[in-house]
Amino acid sequence: MTSKPVLIVGGGPAGLAAAHGLATIGQKSILVEKEDRLGGAPILSGYAKLVPSGEWARDAIGGMVDRVEGNGLVDIKKGITVSEFSGEPGNFTAKLSDGKSVKAASAVLCTGFTHFDSVNKPEWGFGTFPDVVTTTQVEQMISSGAGVRCPSDGRKPKRVAILLCVGSRDRQIGREWCSKICCTVSANLAMEIREELEDCHVYIYYMDIRTFGLYETSYYWRSQEEFKVKYIKARIAEVTSDGDKLIVKGEDTLVKRPITIPFDMVVHAIGMDPNVDNMLLSTIFDVELEPHGYIGKQTAYGTMGATSRLGVFVAGSATGPETIDDSIAQGNAAAMSAYALMHGAVKAAAE
Amino acid sequence: MPIHEEHLIRPENLKTQEDLVIDGIDVSGHWSTFIESRVVTDYNEALEEEIAALPGGEYIHRCWQCGSCTNSCTVNEVNPDFNPRYWIYLIRMGMESELLRDKEIIWQCVSCNKCTYACPRDVVPEGVMKATAHWLELKGHTPKSPSMVFDEVFTEQVIQTGKIEEGRIIRSFFKRTGQELMQDWLVEMVKRLVAKLPVTLLWKMGLANVLRPRTSGWAGARDAIQDYVDEKNAEHRKALRLDELVELAKQEAKPGQQMAAE
Repeated sequence: MTSKPVLIVGGGPAGLAAAHGLATIGQKSILVEKEDRLGGAPILSGYAKLVPSGEWARDAIGGMVDRVEGNGLVDIKKGITVSEFSGEPGNFTAKLSDGKSVKAASAVLCTGFTHFDSVNKPEWGFGTFPDVVTTTQVEQMISSGAGVRCPSDGRKPKRVAILLCVGSRDRQIGREWCSKICCTVSANLAMEIREELEDCHVYIYYMDIRTFGLYETSYYWRSQEEFKVKYIKARIAEVTSDGDKLIVKGEDTLVKRPITIPFDMVVHAIGMDPNVDNMLLSTIFDVELEPHGYIGKQTAYGTMGATSRLGVFVAGSATGPETIDDSIAQGNAAAMSAYALMHGAVKAAAE
Repeated sequence: MPIHEEHLIRPENLKTQEDLVIDGIDVSGHWSTFIESRVVTDYNEALEEEIAALPGGEYIHRCWQCGSCTNSCTVNEVNPDFNPRYWIYLIRMGMESELLRDKEIIWQCVSCNKCTYACPRDVVPEGVMKATAHWLELKGHTPKSPSMVFDEVFTEQVIQTGKIEEGRIIRSFFKRTGQELMQDWLVEMVKRLVAKLPVTLLWKMGLANVLRPRTSGWAGARDAIQDYVDEKNAEHRKALRLDELVELAKQEAKPGQQMAAE
């Protein structure tokens, strides 16, 4: 048995879950977070109410942060990155950006994702028209208490279009994956908009709707039946402006009809890109990336969260588009894998 | 160049110049033909709620566009333009102008209810078709259908007397729809009735026509039913904002009247 800690890289839902999980079984960990606070995307990007709990991100993820920050078994290092990583399973050495070195028995990469930058789809008007915003911005409008308003003049929008698959399922920009969460997040936001602004109508433009599993009833149908959100099967061609309103052009494919519809606000349901630092992480930790650029992981049947390097594990949206709940589950699973390795189980099984 | 599959294009969207010379080249006739695209320029956000407010339309919001209704439809087999799935979509998305293009076919639903049993979401498409036909009438897009007139005649008589008297229903129906009473088939039917039926029955039928018998103690029921019908009609008018529309039409008509007066 070793007394060395587990190195956890990234303090989002997966990393917080891993640190907490290890602490509950008496295992020390070092949690390295490059930002100056913990919580990951839900906190740093100011998400509003989470799917599927409906709890505010600051309460739900904030609670996860609190229980880790108050735990003596978790050594938290904020504003720090790992610059070098070497050694063997059970005896790794990580050099940190503050010049210090730490010893670790194993590592769990919980390095998350990067929000797609809508500027890469200029035909949809982001960066050109102020009232074209992203789902993240709408989350912030709601979570800050300011409410959903048109950035150009602060008015309450009467009609909002949400465009799905912005930065997802798009070979033109090298992003072939489905970001998995945006359909459900958009349905959730649409309901929140309808709740706040009663006479604001919300239209969701989709190619396919992927509110998978139980979200079919609680998001897809609930948004339509209770909140009268409209779903229109159309891939939007362009977003322009007539000087007053945003003009959304496309084809309603269910009626084979071109559409040119005025809107007050257009929301891009932005996808989840691989973390922009993944190439760097891949080099530092000597782990392979999968073809889309996320951190590659082995099949789940042997060891959960194993990367191409023994002793280095991965969890959450570092592995691909992932929900918060599943990131938390994977964080716990990877923590268990790291702990098992430390006790020789993985090594013994391999032999 | 001639356009292939021209039948797919609505005639009013085919633009042809009979007499057109560009840069000295005569491109008259089909050489100058171009197709104007049909663009949806706005949604009527109230449309789905209006249809849902009418009897039969209540469950339209459940539709997921699988097309089971259209696939099972009796009328669709005869007329491929009869497409309940498509109209439900137009209504839900508020594409009113597109819906109105089909106002001459929507009422053709024969209420066989095959769609009702095929629908996996329990939308009751037959009810939606009924509600939509009703909506078209109430909004003044289509004239009252004969079946609607018949329903009214029938209902009025039941409410008034608590009974139905077929002779009077036929007479009122023919009158309101501008039909001759002395139609060959009717005359023939009456002749045969007179020849075959027992005299006492004929006597009773004749008397019922003259005396208009009522169900005894009907007045209370009549008032209650009438109140309910009025209440429902008022609800429908309100849901469809018919009174607002009438008011709007009046205001729009005013300036014209003044000009005429001057």
